[in-house]
Amino acid sequence: MTSPTLERALPERLAPGDRDRLKRQVPAGVTLLAFIAMLVVCGAIQPVIFSATGLNLVLSSIVPLVIASLAQMVMMSIGDIDLGIGSFVGLVTAVSATTLSGTPLIGVLILLALIAGYGVLGALVHLRRVPALIATLGASFVWYGLALFVLPTPGGTAPDWLLAFAAWTPSAFPAPVLPILVITAAIWAVLQLTPVGARVRALGSNAAVLERSGRSALRTRIITYVIVGVLAVLAGLSLSSQIGGGDPTSANDYTLISVAAVILGGGSFFGGRAVAWGSMVGAVTLGLVSVLLSLLNLSSNVQPAVEGGIVIAALAGRLLVGKVLR
Amino acid sequence: MNFARRLVVPPWAWSFLFAALVLLGIFATTHTVGTGTIGLALSLAPYLVMVGSGQMLVISAGPGNIDVSVPQVISLSGFVAVSVTSGTGSITLGLLAAAGTGLAVAAISVIAIAFIKIPPIVATLASGLIASSFTLTFANGFDAEPSSALSEFLRLRLAGIPVIAIMTAAFSVLLAVALHRTVAGRWLLAAGQNGRAAELAGVPTAWVTASTYFASGLLSGLAGALLATYIAPTADLGTTYQLDSIAVVVIGGTLISGGRAVPAGVWGGALFFILLDSFLNLIGWNLAGQNILKGLLVLAVLFLAGGTAGVRRGARRAAAPTTEQLDIQPAADARR
Repeated sequence: MTSPTLERALPERLAPGDRDRLKRQVPAGVTLLAFIAMLVVCGAIQPVIFSATGLNLVLSSIVPLVIASLAQMVMMSIGDIDLGIGSFVGLVTAVSATTLSGTPLIGVLILLALIAGYGVLGALVHLRRVPALIATLGASFVWYGLALFVLPTPGGTAPDWLLAFAAWTPSAFPAPVLPILVITAAIWAVLQLTPVGARVRALGSNAAVLERSGRSALRTRIITYVIVGVLAVLAGLSLSSQIGGGDPTSANDYTLISVAAVILGGGSFFGGRAVAWGSMVGAVTLGLVSVLLSLLNLSSNVQPAVEGGIVIAALAGRLLVGKVLR
Repeated sequence: MNFARRLVVPPWAWSFLFAALVLLGIFATTHTVGTGTIGLALSLAPYLVMVGSGQMLVISAGPGNIDVSVPQVISLSGFVAVSVTSGTGSITLGLLAAAGTGLAVAAISVIAIAFIKIPPIVATLASGLIASSFTLTFANGFDAEPSSALSEFLRLRLAGIPVIAIMTAAFSVLLAVALHRTVAGRWLLAAGQNGRAAELAGVPTAWVTASTYFASGLLSGLAGALLATYIAPTADLGTTYQLDSIAVVVIGGTLISGGRAVPAGVWGGALFFILLDSFLNLIGWNLAGQNILKGLLVLAVLFLAGGTAGVRRGARRAAAPTTEQLDIQPAADARR
């Protein structure tokens, strides 16, 4: 392959100055403020949510969305966007509720094949130079069709080990915090500390430099899509453990909400930006909306409007903060 | 070679070719060459064409421009139109209210895009979410009946061809003329091809971009009103239009990177999708198979036609090596 010196030199050349690095975290900081504000409001109305059981209840339904948002973040870090992720997560829940619990070996093979499918999609997007937006949109029809093929109506049962994981409630800390933090930290480490991560970020910020340094942009894009596929499978398994079975349409909202979470977390459509903790906070904030509304005794009809309002308000706040910093 | 291919075959031809192939498949399966299939397809296509035309205008305004609030606008304006018409007894007021609903949702998107600099996909997502709250509130115990006069009009046929299809076709012709023969149309295509260059040439790109979102909101609003009358007002009336509106635009030969709008192609794409649905129903495929085939066809069209766009994309790459990867980006001004 390539010389180790180059491999090491690449992240350095891409490393931004400290000031830039700080600026990169600011948008996520604004979202973090919104998140804390919501948590305080929730806590003021219902102090019980600050206990381990309370947080467990509040956060458990948000875990799959957080993982899906991290997948979207990886995709957006190379400047692509995944409009099929919601259908894909739905497909994974369907596989989980049928094949994976019935014949685990075949279930695992199917999931691996789906991840490979993501890699092929990435290769085709790269080789045919088509917009990822449309390719993933086309793929979403395929994912949805496959999900209906596996599981025509919502139902089935998730594998026992997934259900056991969902039922796990340690008294020391809220259980959902563990997968959220572990997966966020893992993605941060992969993107920021490993040579593969440096290549993924390089593809997003300056593909020409990546190619000139002897690295294959095609391989990097395939690797990126495979990472997205792996994360999306984890999101699907997590969702399946929550709902106890499978539902092809259960994650349709994830497609666009995950994009919003990444943007709230400081990501951009330009690529080259991967703020893992920001995307995590963005996803948790959007996920908290339904909790807040039920605490405020507001109709769930209002939920979409509040989500939309939060997205607009947080981005307006970011614009203001950005102007002040400049 | 790509260049030659582009000269010989107009960009909309492929979508009509696909639609014709599916039609042949239907004729072969039923062993009859009937006009019934075409008539049915033509009575369903106008709504998708209206919505798709709006989406086409938005996409043509340049990279990153997309309207994902379409399904929520359709559902909401369907409810608004039906309730206003049944309340006042006036079809005109109902249609105006639906158009106003579409414009109001578009106004939220435009404010978010132009003033808060939110990327269009997120801005239209947010405005769509806001619209869907109103839809859900409307849907609770909604019992107004759609106007039967309008419903009859939508089923009216002249020589076997639905009148609404003729009207929509006339609109598409006007749209094509407007895009290529009027200053506003030229502005839109110029802004889509190169926003920076267009702005330096004196094109008010911000206004042009904003008006495409208003046009999309207006068309989705009207389509929602008609669709709610033709079928029934429901909260998920517009759901399938999210993906379909984008897919028919792309299949129709409109460049996803902007700057080339093909109104005829929207018809080809819409007829292709609708005929494909009836063909697959005919040969007994279930929803699963239909979706898988639909997706694979979109991907096949996309990956095979990838070379067509290559001419433009190649040129862009030579000028600026990094932009090639950025299939979606906020308005060009952010790159300065």
